[in-house]
Amino acid sequence: MKIHTTIKNREAYAQYLQVLRGVESFLLTHRYLKLDLPVLSPALIPEGYLEVFETEFRYMDRREKLYLTPSPELFIKRLLVAGVGDCYYLGKSFRNSEPNSPKHLPEFTMLEMYKVGKDYRYMAQEVLAMLQHLSRTIHGTDQIMFQGHKVSLASWEAMTIAEAFERYSAISTEELFDTEKFIKKAYQKGYVTEGFSYEDLWSQIYAQEIEPHLGMNGKPTILFDYPVTFAALSTPNPDGRTAQRFEFYIGGVELGNCYSELTDPELQATRLRDEYELRKKSGKIDHPIDTGFVDALREGLPESTGIAIGVDRLGMVMTDAPDIDSMKLLTIR
Amino acid sequence: MSVQAGNLKKGEFIIYQNDVWQVQKSEFYSPGKGAALMRSKIKNVNSGKTIDYTFKSNESIETVDVSSVEMQYLYKDAETAYFMHQQTFNQYEVPLEMVGDIVQFFKEGETMYVYVHDEKPLSVMPPASVQLKIIQTDDAARGDTVGNAKKEAEVETGAKVMVPLFIKQGEIITINPETGEYTGRASQ
Repeated sequence: MKIHTTIKNREAYAQYLQVLRGVESFLLTHRYLKLDLPVLSPALIPEGYLEVFETEFRYMDRREKLYLTPSPELFIKRLLVAGVGDCYYLGKSFRNSEPNSPKHLPEFTMLEMYKVGKDYRYMAQEVLAMLQHLSRTIHGTDQIMFQGHKVSLASWEAMTIAEAFERYSAISTEELFDTEKFIKKAYQKGYVTEGFSYEDLWSQIYAQEIEPHLGMNGKPTILFDYPVTFAALSTPNPDGRTAQRFEFYIGGVELGNCYSELTDPELQATRLRDEYELRKKSGKIDHPIDTGFVDALREGLPESTGIAIGVDRLGMVMTDAPDIDSMKLLTIR
Repeated sequence: MSVQAGNLKKGEFIIYQNDVWQVQKSEFYSPGKGAALMRSKIKNVNSGKTIDYTFKSNESIETVDVSSVEMQYLYKDAETAYFMHQQTFNQYEVPLEMVGDIVQFFKEGETMYVYVHDEKPLSVMPPASVQLKIIQTDDAARGDTVGNAKKEAEVETGAKVMVPLFIKQGEIITINPETGEYTGRASQ
């Protein structure tokens, strides 16, 4: 990797800064407390499919492993338990083994915001209000243009995951929630299924057949109620097979991921152990589990909803940039 | 031969659904759950048709063994670019759809590398840069030389490129044929 400076992006960068300022002014007016958090941690919440960056603290003979946080969640949830109230973090997060692409950097800017006493439906409205605030501040209207697509931010196009699979992949609800039937269907569609799990094929079909349509009908699209296996840390729905998670898209770009936060500490502990096992099985860096996080949850995480938004991508969409690099003065790639 | 999809590179030839395709673009994407993915754009070498396909990054993909053969570019017509093998003097035809837009920067008589599989030419390796003479461009008006202003210029192959205002007719410039961008003056 090398360091690249691109001073000709100065104007695009200035527009990106407008997005950052717009986000912060919205959150300030809506009384979210800004959190200044570390990016290094001695332990993490295990996530089966994410690789982390590992480093070391050194002093005299002392050696201690530290990890760059792939998300500020472990810090914020502690603070929610302690009673911090509505809050957000806007800063860097780190994901290893994910090479640079037009829409992703291994070190990226993330907004994570939490609202106490509310669920994911409330957050959907809050996010739409934030998008409108950004668009009005920057463009003076609710209409944006992104890479040739006209998008009105006046309302969501909303559909459940089951509806999206039905509409775009002709996969019925019955097939979607039945592992065996789903894999069979994937095989019939010509996907390589041997040696791959339900989750693998689900992600592949989702990316191949569904995502290209999202946020492309002149509105931002919100997809909600994911199968439980794809929403480990969110509140299960009464139907027993989906959980309260949503993602939202503009112009085919995934921008954010929201949960009604799971408050049951025992269920939480089980899911973390599952994730830990998955990490071990796939040979990922063996970092310590943040047990303090689980202990804090036992004290009682208040009912709340949280969303993580990729701010580099949000910047792209709000300023009509073709990729992340074109808004940056300096990148490593 | 096979390769993990996560290692797919632009320009590589692969087998997908019993056909030979050339990778036009491949982009890593991790949805955070389930397999990491490789979003790709691939072009069928027989039909010239391009499709988007998302592979799992740890999926094994059969690759096609191609050799890059030095050939002389002869000329093109409406559908085909013609090349001649430097040693055997055999003529090879590559559909313009497979050569792509870079063909507008090819100068007759220049040496290129053609990808060949089983005696069949599949595509042309894009040269990193080409040197072409400017045959037409207007002189910049005085006082019009601030900033990064550009003007249009026609090069000897007939292609149009945007060049800095100080470039004059008759000069030889270097161009990145893949982006069509001016990259500098050719050193004399």
